[in-house]
Amino acid sequence: MALGSRQSRRDVLKLTAYSTAGALLGAPAVRAQTKSLTMMHESSFVPPYDAFFKNKLAAAYEKEKGIKVNYEVVSVGSLLTRVTTAAENASGPDMTAIGFNWAFLFDDKFVDVSDIAAEIGKESGGWYESAQESVVVNGKWKAIPFGNIGQLMNWRTDWFKQAGYDKFPETWDELLEAGIKLKKAGHPFGFELGHGFGDNHGWLYPLLWSYGAREVEADGKTIVIDSDETARAVDYCRRLYKETMVEDCLGWTDVNNNKAFLSEQISCTNNAESILWAAKKDFPEMAKVIDQSENPKGPKGRFHMLNPLCHSIFTHTKDQKASKDFLRWLMAPAQAGPWLDIAVTYYQPFLHKYDDAPMWKVEPRNLPYRDALKTAHLPGWPAPLSRAQSESVAKFVVVDMFAKACAGKSTKEVIADAAAQLKQIYRAT
Amino acid sequence: MTVERRGWRVRLLTLWLPLAVAMFFALFPFYWMAITSLKTNQELYSRKVMPLIVHNPTLKHYVDLLTETSFLEWTWNTLLVAVISTAISLILGAMLAYPLARLRFAGAAMVSFAIAATYLVPQPLLFVPLADLINRLGLNDTLTSVILTYPTLLIPFCAWLLMGYFRTVPVELEDAARIDGASRLQTLVRIVLPLCGPGFISAGIFAFTLAQNEFLYALIFLTKTEVRTVPVGAIAELVRGDVFYWGQLMAAALLGSIPVAIIYSFFVEHYVAGLTAGGVKG
Repeated sequence: MALGSRQSRRDVLKLTAYSTAGALLGAPAVRAQTKSLTMMHESSFVPPYDAFFKNKLAAAYEKEKGIKVNYEVVSVGSLLTRVTTAAENASGPDMTAIGFNWAFLFDDKFVDVSDIAAEIGKESGGWYESAQESVVVNGKWKAIPFGNIGQLMNWRTDWFKQAGYDKFPETWDELLEAGIKLKKAGHPFGFELGHGFGDNHGWLYPLLWSYGAREVEADGKTIVIDSDETARAVDYCRRLYKETMVEDCLGWTDVNNNKAFLSEQISCTNNAESILWAAKKDFPEMAKVIDQSENPKGPKGRFHMLNPLCHSIFTHTKDQKASKDFLRWLMAPAQAGPWLDIAVTYYQPFLHKYDDAPMWKVEPRNLPYRDALKTAHLPGWPAPLSRAQSESVAKFVVVDMFAKACAGKSTKEVIADAAAQLKQIYRAT
Repeated sequence: MTVERRGWRVRLLTLWLPLAVAMFFALFPFYWMAITSLKTNQELYSRKVMPLIVHNPTLKHYVDLLTETSFLEWTWNTLLVAVISTAISLILGAMLAYPLARLRFAGAAMVSFAIAATYLVPQPLLFVPLADLINRLGLNDTLTSVILTYPTLLIPFCAWLLMGYFRTVPVELEDAARIDGASRLQTLVRIVLPLCGPGFISAGIFAFTLAQNEFLYALIFLTKTEVRTVPVGAIAELVRGDVFYWGQLMAAALLGSIPVAIIYSFFVEHYVAGLTAGGVKG
């Protein structure tokens, strides 16, 4: 380090003495004060949710701590690309929203936040067990879970009533029975069986699990898709498709079932809260006769899809402590509560403190989303997080197994195809 | 009289009918965009009304697009980026294409192959290293980042198109200029380039359209709303979860296609001439 010409030898000695004394007394290392942090998020389905962060939370933090927090919004479906770029180049935002098994995929790029996760859990009534499924990697929390974007059965109460159902069917078999009656009455079902990003996995994995079937054992190695349980789930799905659904849902993506439901083409589908939300906005009369229910039970119980939104800190951030302090502040009830409220349960919190929060009373029809958290899992469950899990989802192995059966292939054939694919995927990774 | 009638019928069957079919396929997407952008959400989702006409037209989607999003800013950014990157690509593309089309030098075949190979490298392979470069240059969230990266796609494309076109210019014209004392550069600037106007127009329109529609680099390098281009801005703000704001998306698509349509309408004759020259004779 070059010293200025005006500094005397005495100044240098003083500086050295102060620095040594500081180090010996355990004073914090001298570092530049963090002036700003950046949080990256995918644009929310609920526009006020993004606005609340930018206008309220960020402003409050700057006022309180003097640190400006930028909120960088990326388009839907683009977050993984941005996270990959930031992680690989070790540059860009300090913190990011993540989903699915990204905590595992970017394990070495994310900071261990176990300490603040424990504090937050203690402060807010403890974490749901499902919260840990996607963020704990090798015993370390690599993200702080925020909320689940659950998938439930969306159905028309008026048409179900006409067919003799006051309540949503409890089991898959009862749902089939109801669907047959409703299709005859001109109100078929429509469940996504195409290559979308969520509404296909959202009901097909729970269906598979509820029959006691799995892709892979908990050891993450033994492929067990070729089983009698899978065959029964596939046979059921084929009947549900042929006897209750509109034909074109084989090619649907996530947009199509929303459109079909809102255009009164179908009476039941599996979706997040977006259908009810859109109906309230544009079709208030229809919104009065929409309800949402947990997935039906199968022979081995009731299951749901885990679709978590969590926050991670990149290891490349210049000040990990500042990012941790911010996440800790963000997850305190004074901040997380109003942020969750603004989205009106679209993000179902993973903390038990919010189990009876006022937001659930704003729209009681959303309550089943909270209850579904107890039986929610990631695709690939019960195997631990892995790259193979991502590949199986990206290649639509389970979705295609069911869809091909619906399109006419034999049960034996579709299961053999899925088993061969899974063996290749899990062996290769 | 009979011959005249038959001629009219033949003309109808061989010219006007195929033209009408072609026009229908070409224009129907625009018609669909236009009517979707003018319908209310209720009408958009209704299965009870005829979907090919607008029953209750509204400009709400246009108003929302222009007032609730930064669409005008995105449009300005898009035009700026597309015009500058197209200009850079045309200049450098011409400098690359001319020697390859006219000069004989060692390694020319290798350079031609390298250009084609560069054009064929998929973007997903390049975005991570390019993002690293942009980051090192400190150009994140600036329009300069995409102005500098788009030519990596556009220069090989322009060079290939222009190479074909340069070869159609008679070499005797250049020889004559050289005999009269023009240097190689003067020959290029004063003789070849003026004769290649249509080629430049077609390469320019294609390059402009590619730059205007580019998504991946814009997504990676431009994250702030105020520096986004139309494709990224529209997707970020008008697609939320599994709900698409169809009316606003179609309004954005329609308004976004206007600049290309205007440019195209001015240069359509040269554009067609340029394409046929480059494609057939090259």
